[in-house]
Amino acid sequence: MHSTRYIITFTFILTLVSALLLSFLYFGTNERAELNEKIFNKRAVLAALANKLDKPVKKLSDQEVLDIFESQVDQFAIDMEGNNVSSAAIVERGYTGGLAEDIDMAKEKKKPVADQILPVFVYASGGSKYTIVSVRGNGLWDEIWGNIALDNDYNTVIGVSFDHAQETPGLGAEIKDNSSFPAQFRNKKIYASDNTYKSINVRKGGAKDLLHEVDAISGATVTSDGVSEMLFRGLKYYEPYFNKMKNS
Amino acid sequence: MNLVNIFIEAAFIENMVLAYFLGMCSYLAVSKTVKTAFGLGLAVIFVLGITMPINWVINTYLLGEAGIFKTDLTFLRFILFIAVIASMVQLVEMVIEKFSPALYNSLGIFLPLITVNCAILGGSLFMVSRDYNFSESVAYGLGGGFGWFLAIVAIAAIREKMKYSNVPAPLRGLGMAFILTGLMGVAFMSLLGIDPAAF
Amino acid sequence: MADVAVKEPKVLKTSEPLFGKKERKLITDPLNDNNPITVQVLGVCSALAVTTLVYPSLIMAIAVIFVCAFSSLFTSLLRTYIPKQVRMIVQLVIIATLVTVVELTLKAFNYTVYKDLSVFIGLIITNCIVMGRLEAFAMANKPWKSFLDGIGNGAGYGLILILVALVREIFGKGTLFANSPFPIYLIGKDNETSSYIINTAAESGIGTFFSSYMNNNLLVLSSAAMFIIGIFIWIQRSRNTKLIDIS
Repeated sequence: MHSTRYIITFTFILTLVSALLLSFLYFGTNERAELNEKIFNKRAVLAALANKLDKPVKKLSDQEVLDIFESQVDQFAIDMEGNNVSSAAIVERGYTGGLAEDIDMAKEKKKPVADQILPVFVYASGGSKYTIVSVRGNGLWDEIWGNIALDNDYNTVIGVSFDHAQETPGLGAEIKDNSSFPAQFRNKKIYASDNTYKSINVRKGGAKDLLHEVDAISGATVTSDGVSEMLFRGLKYYEPYFNKMKNS
Repeated sequence: MNLVNIFIEAAFIENMVLAYFLGMCSYLAVSKTVKTAFGLGLAVIFVLGITMPINWVINTYLLGEAGIFKTDLTFLRFILFIAVIASMVQLVEMVIEKFSPALYNSLGIFLPLITVNCAILGGSLFMVSRDYNFSESVAYGLGGGFGWFLAIVAIAAIREKMKYSNVPAPLRGLGMAFILTGLMGVAFMSLLGIDPAAF
Repeated sequence: MADVAVKEPKVLKTSEPLFGKKERKLITDPLNDNNPITVQVLGVCSALAVTTLVYPSLIMAIAVIFVCAFSSLFTSLLRTYIPKQVRMIVQLVIIATLVTVVELTLKAFNYTVYKDLSVFIGLIITNCIVMGRLEAFAMANKPWKSFLDGIGNGAGYGLILILVALVREIFGKGTLFANSPFPIYLIGKDNETSSYIINTAAESGIGTFFSSYMNNNLLVLSSAAMFIIGIFIWIQRSRNTKLIDIS
């Protein structure tokens, strides 16, 4: 049997040693971990460009992702009226990097609509320009989010990429795992020919309107409806910006 | 999200055992008879209901950037959470022993088992990753515990009946328990369509 | 503190070989006769939820082997100093520290897998295999043996994890090692991110034979892991009848 004092000293020393060890490791790897997280998010933005990239986004190395963002992507934030938000204003909202990529859509989603800011990424390649916008909504269990790349007419979809917090594997999670789901969005239009806003609808039982609908994932109705809702609401937030760009 | 929603979601739709396989070890080991399963199930509800809010407080006021140290200490989360769980289990055990020997006799032997029940730690980690607030974490703890309770009592009842069935010898016992759990998981999936907002 | 002066045990007797028959048995036993999942029923927990893909399962298996081996080693080194009253908490602190090491390392060096495994890495702490082996073996045996026992049990666990993942990924998704740096696409419809070995949409060749092939969606659901382990147990016990459960 050990004395109480021994027990307390032993536990204290053990805890101290492990806490110190972990702190060292944490501060040693933190920079790398943060960089990884940035690359992960940048990759998700680029994934929306699909075949407009020189090679599939999965095959890009981390360095190539950073290079593309450095040389070909112009990023900025806009408010709900479509006006640019300065870098200082982004920092003021708690995103210390001050770039559009630093904006946490999850935090913005919780704010009143009029107070939100939105990131915009413009990718330039060989004379063409593509605009990538971000949307966020709710799936079955938790949040889902995505990036949508639009052609210079701010109407034709170039491609999309989706991700989710915890949709059911094999059902809702297919929005990310099954590459044929995002591939359906290519060349869809978000406006009807008379310029009314239509967004893109995920339709159960198969798309009927080939310009504005895609097939739903069977067995994942709630997630599919969540994607429709997210796109309708999220793209509409960008409408003032689109109109401004079209008129200029 | 309202609290009833979270409770129902945690108990039925995202059942700890059947959807995430949390707490499988004790679930498989202690589900041979309904009586013991019932006792362990109650103990899990109890411990989850208590540790979840405590871990919430620790995570928010001790480890978070808004906490008393003003720095991000989340890398110490695992150690603190498990320490809270282990000491809470010990404390609960002592308190029950002192004030209600009858309850202690029925729950007592299961309490040490609960420290290493993944459902308890898992619940706390899910609570963090889902950004629950204080009252939501209480609801999630109770709901998750109730779901676990329901699952273990159900499998114990089936396993009791299974004794009279003609199962191939190599599949008897453990093998059948796994397959039954799988079937129950599929059955619980039919609850996926429920809209918690309807309650 | 007078009572700290506990006699230090000799770590390794020179007469014992590093890899004798007994030592080898410590590693091979848990792979079959004494498998942690199918025989000891330890650690079935959450980790099975990651078995939809082989690659994350592989990383998970390595993480479990690492945690299991080193926590056994450290516990065994400290076994004479650990006060009996707080033994559980001490073991948990050791395990939790190692698990955090794994988490931080993954976050820095393999972020995609870190995202895939998310909370399940943390749940290695309560993985009963680790605790179970510390209690049953490391607290009573020498460091080297405990280390081997840890590796053996971690590997026995990892083996089941990977076998389950192989079945689920090949038949559930038609791929192998997806999400890894070296993915293999076995069967499915070609698209621009992946070209499958057997392209079910092909106009000619072997693909036409498989034109109505569909992946088995049931295998992607979490319950499938349970069925597969149940079947593994069935196979193992019919070959190894001494394991049959009488009750």
